Amino acid sequence: MATLLYSANLNDCIARWREEGLMVFGPATTGGVSGFQEVKDAGSLDLDLILTRSTLKELFFPRTEPMLGYRIGKQQIETEEFRPPEGRRIIFGVRPCDAAGMQVDDALFDWDYHDEYWFRRRDSSVIVSIACTHADDFCMCTSLNLSPDSTKGSDVLLRPLLAGNGWQVEALTERGENALASISSLLKEGGDPTAPVADVPVKFDLEACRSWLADPENFESRFWKEISERCIGCGSCTYLCPTCHCFDIQDEGDTYKGIRRKNWDSCSFSLFTMHTSGHNPRATQSARWRQRIMHKFNYFSLKFNVNSCTGCGRCTRECPVDMGVTETLQAISTLQR
Amino acid sequence: MKIVATRDEAPGVRTMRLEFQDPLELEKFKQAYRTGMFGLYGIYGEGESTFCVASPETRNDYIECTFRKSGRVTAALASAEIGDLMTFRGPYGNRFPIEEFHGKNLLFIAGGIALPPTRSVIWSCLDQRDKFGKITIVYGARTVADLVYKQELEEWEKRDDVELVLTVDPGGETPDWKHRVGFVPTILEEAAPAAGNCVAVLCGPPIMIKFTLASLKKLGFEEENVYTTLENRMKCGIGKCGRCNVGSVYVCKEGPVFTAAEVSSMPQADL
Repeated sequence: MATLLYSANLNDCIARWREEGLMVFGPATTGGVSGFQEVKDAGSLDLDLILTRSTLKELFFPRTEPMLGYRIGKQQIETEEFRPPEGRRIIFGVRPCDAAGMQVDDALFDWDYHDEYWFRRRDSSVIVSIACTHADDFCMCTSLNLSPDSTKGSDVLLRPLLAGNGWQVEALTERGENALASISSLLKEGGDPTAPVADVPVKFDLEACRSWLADPENFESRFWKEISERCIGCGSCTYLCPTCHCFDIQDEGDTYKGIRRKNWDSCSFSLFTMHTSGHNPRATQSARWRQRIMHKFNYFSLKFNVNSCTGCGRCTRECPVDMGVTETLQAISTLQR
Repeated sequence: MKIVATRDEAPGVRTMRLEFQDPLELEKFKQAYRTGMFGLYGIYGEGESTFCVASPETRNDYIECTFRKSGRVTAALASAEIGDLMTFRGPYGNRFPIEEFHGKNLLFIAGGIALPPTRSVIWSCLDQRDKFGKITIVYGARTVADLVYKQELEEWEKRDDVELVLTVDPGGETPDWKHRVGFVPTILEEAAPAAGNCVAVLCGPPIMIKFTLASLKKLGFEEENVYTTLENRMKCGIGKCGRCNVGSVYVCKEGPVFTAAEVSSMPQADL
């Protein structure tokens, strides 16, 4: 017998969690744009989306975030440190690729300096993922050695029931068990069959790509220019990526008061690596695309033993010129032959 | 931190001496700071900029930084006055392994505004002079006016335990210039310091580094005995923001000090 959560009880679950002081987030659509938003009831959730347009990452690493405030007086400077907001959260209806992405960035934010901005939110959040029963042409989790029902980065995994009326529930962490304990009266025991997971074909040979990328001979290959010629450097692939983490630090305000902020940045932008002297190590868009691919599939995995991509496919799905990681790695796979 | 002294070094180039206001912060800095490390210096409302700590670990009651006015933050720093407060984050990065230099001859080579990181090592070694053999400093700038630390250059020139070779690029000399005229790599080859038992510390713009490394090779220096600093754009200083990547190296964490051998193993186009 498995533990089941029927869709009819989801609204009560959300109410129960909220009564316990938890904020509940989930996929929702506002103004035609989907993302993770705080919800008060099950009716606000958009659980049929294959993927939200913006990622789960934003709940842990906001697009812009104040780090400190300053106020300058005649005799002194007053500063105020801003810390991430307190408060426990349940994030319901996450896709496994997005959840796995959070685990990828855990490695970076815990490397050497333990980043409080990231981990305060991570430590106070429960990620409840739903295995995918549908995929689109852009999904490629299986190419990254993940799967539509991967448990990486999730605290609870829900498997949709074949009848479409709920989910089979599996706690994966202690945090997940605690979240389920508070809704235990709403969970049922049953043998209802689960729906098959989505069929996501493998689109490239990851190991072959990695070995091509790791060969220094290929760093100056003409391939990079050819594959990236139409990149317009808009950065949308980085902003919509669950694992991209680059940021900038800027002051906003005037001489008397203001805020020092951390803002998302992108390796696709020409100013990203520009030295003060005017020298730019990555002066061309092809050099920047090479860096993006190298970072995700060579450098990051060398350092942290995990690829910085979980196959969500947003980079390709939302690219204004129909480029993306998939096409590049497929082409590298071809170069191998 | 409080600005306690300033000095104009060259057109647009300024040195500031900074002191900690909080004794605990000073103590933390003294514990952590080693020559080669850098910091993020800032003015509220304008932002932060990355420079090396130009003062040596042997003089760690204060911080000196030298910068060229070239953007919003450095313009604000340049117009700050003695007594003004500014921000400092750091020290970050790795260090020159000075203990490994003990008993060896030292060759310092710097170009233009890259004397500040070199100066930090020079003074760290001069402040414990008896631990090192012959010390040679080769320093060049585009013009006489662009030479920084002019007072210290005079001081080093007068010392009989330092050989100072100064040069300016052709056309950058003045009528009363008594030193060399020529590019650093050429002048270095003319000065021909012996490579045996010698460690070279090289800082400069990328193009100068490239040609000087070739000259050092000609002179017989092994890449393992040549140290340099990478000046990649850095913002967070703690290996998170992503912009200082060269290959799998995060310069702000694993650098900025590298041997020439380490630099050779990096993707050169990203330097």
